[in-house]
Amino acid sequence: MRRILTSHKAIQRLYDAVAYVIIAGLLVFVLGPLMWMGLTSLKREQDVVTADLQYIPLHPTLENYVTLWNRSGVTTMFRNSAVTTGLTVSLCLLAGTFAAYSISRYRFRGRGGLLTFYLLVRMFPVVLMLLPLYIMLRSIGLIDSLFGLALTYTTFLLPTSLLMLKGFFDAVPPDLEDAARIDGSTRIGALFRVVLPLARSGIAATGVLIAVSAWNEFLFALMLTTSESSRTWPVVLQLMVGEFQLPWGLLAAGGMISILPIIVFFSFAQRALVRGLLVGAVKG
Amino acid sequence: MAQDTRASAPPPKAKTPFSWRQPLALIGALSETRYWAYLLLLPSLLLVSAVIIYPVLSGINLSFNQFNLLRIAQGMNFIGLQHYIELFEDPDFQIILKNTATWVIFGALSQFTLGLIAALALHRKNLKGGAIARVLMLLPWVIPSVVAGHMWALLLDSRLGVINDILVRLGVLSAYRAWFADPATAMPAVLLVDLWRGFPFFTLLLYAGLSSVPEELYEAAEVDGANPLQKFRAITIPMITPVVVAAIILRVISLMNSPDLMIVLTNGGPGLATYTLSLYAFQIAYDNFNFGAAAAVSVIMLVILMVFTVIYLRVSGVTKD
Repeated sequence: MRRILTSHKAIQRLYDAVAYVIIAGLLVFVLGPLMWMGLTSLKREQDVVTADLQYIPLHPTLENYVTLWNRSGVTTMFRNSAVTTGLTVSLCLLAGTFAAYSISRYRFRGRGGLLTFYLLVRMFPVVLMLLPLYIMLRSIGLIDSLFGLALTYTTFLLPTSLLMLKGFFDAVPPDLEDAARIDGSTRIGALFRVVLPLARSGIAATGVLIAVSAWNEFLFALMLTTSESSRTWPVVLQLMVGEFQLPWGLLAAGGMISILPIIVFFSFAQRALVRGLLVGAVKG
Repeated sequence: MAQDTRASAPPPKAKTPFSWRQPLALIGALSETRYWAYLLLLPSLLLVSAVIIYPVLSGINLSFNQFNLLRIAQGMNFIGLQHYIELFEDPDFQIILKNTATWVIFGALSQFTLGLIAALALHRKNLKGGAIARVLMLLPWVIPSVVAGHMWALLLDSRLGVINDILVRLGVLSAYRAWFADPATAMPAVLLVDLWRGFPFFTLLLYAGLSSVPEELYEAAEVDGANPLQKFRAITIPMITPVVVAAIILRVISLMNSPDLMIVLTNGGPGLATYTLSLYAFQIAYDNFNFGAAAAVSVIMLVILMVFTVIYLRVSGVTKD
């Protein structure tokens, strides 16, 4: 009996070792490129474009960051991305919460069809609706506007947020709501006082996912904005390439700056995100 | 935790007559009627319909018309299926279709496989640093595709690329290689970049799926003397199938529809080696302004995605909800 137990333990330890090796290998794969980008952002341009590769920058400098920040309009574009992302997250969570709650709690005719419709919305290729969308937004004065961009993002991200939120609401026992209603609360009162507080980590997780998608979106932003005053950050990074001859140092610095908010955001929201996803993603 | 919230729920509101109390009470009363379920759906449905329906229908209509922004004076001319016929007669289009299949199938499979391995490793209990590793592992997925594209362009550059340098030092390569310029390696190289970007998405969802499998099932199987492989096949796989299906469908949609990486890395080249449908549609529209033909390519993409989803949902048998 004891022999079996120790061998069982040995096997478990072996599995743990395998898991550590796999995780370590994957972390090298994941972080290596990011670290190289960080190192590149600290190099002078002539140290990037050199035949003998410098693994550690010989002349570390923040020059790239300073140059980037001093270029006209960079702060505007950063702000544009922030505003668009904020608007998108608010719209998605507001409309998504109501719809997801309805789908989670009620059984009505057309419920399955509705879910199919939202899945279908995700599938429409960007290019298919590009021109009509452009014409439509222009006719109501929303072309080259952050609100128009946010409205477009919201439409495409609503299906995802709806499905995630539905999963989170499914996980809140209906009994709690019934109890609140017996105490005299209306349905909407119970939604705000019971369901939303209980699902808040799930709502936070959904918000983070929407924010990341909106912050990173590139194609619509490229097509639906035309002037410097409404360009978003990813578009600017891409357009930089055309302006200069592949400015590696600048691009790397731009890359580092654009992932900084995400890393900060993530380290704060990490706990809510992981916990939320445990409940939500599965049942969604 | 649930009970805590109930205990600390606010007491019934005092009856102070605010001016906005009337409409609020009205909404409260409305929420008790049987129209409530529909009213809740209305905002999102209106929003999505307003932004999507006209552009989609109009886009589909466009695919049956001759319409070029550069020759706008000629306006729209109905030409029926001509765009489609021209596409399928074009030998280049066959190659693009084949590339798209390679891109989507190898992309989804490689990312799923690596994502599953990562999720299984991260899911082991009591690993030191597991929480940090889970967050770090997500980073590639949350950075902008444009940034990822340029970063990898530098890593794999034919003159400045550190990966070339490492491979030469290790003796794997005898000389630097132009990964994105060689027809034989261009597609695998872009697939590698997308593997880096895409596998964390699977890790995230599969990890969540694994965590939701009740521990008791494994304990019961252990009592019955099941070995790890049997447990994996009899418990883990069936329990996480819904998550797997959802994740694969979502990933296939984005592989099919987003040309971001190709735009940054290869622009379809060398030759047609990395041309996919999404890039093709994008370029016909953006570079040639031939919106009719671009719409036709998009409609073909949409049909492929719909057919794939329907078949996949049928085959996997998770069409309950």
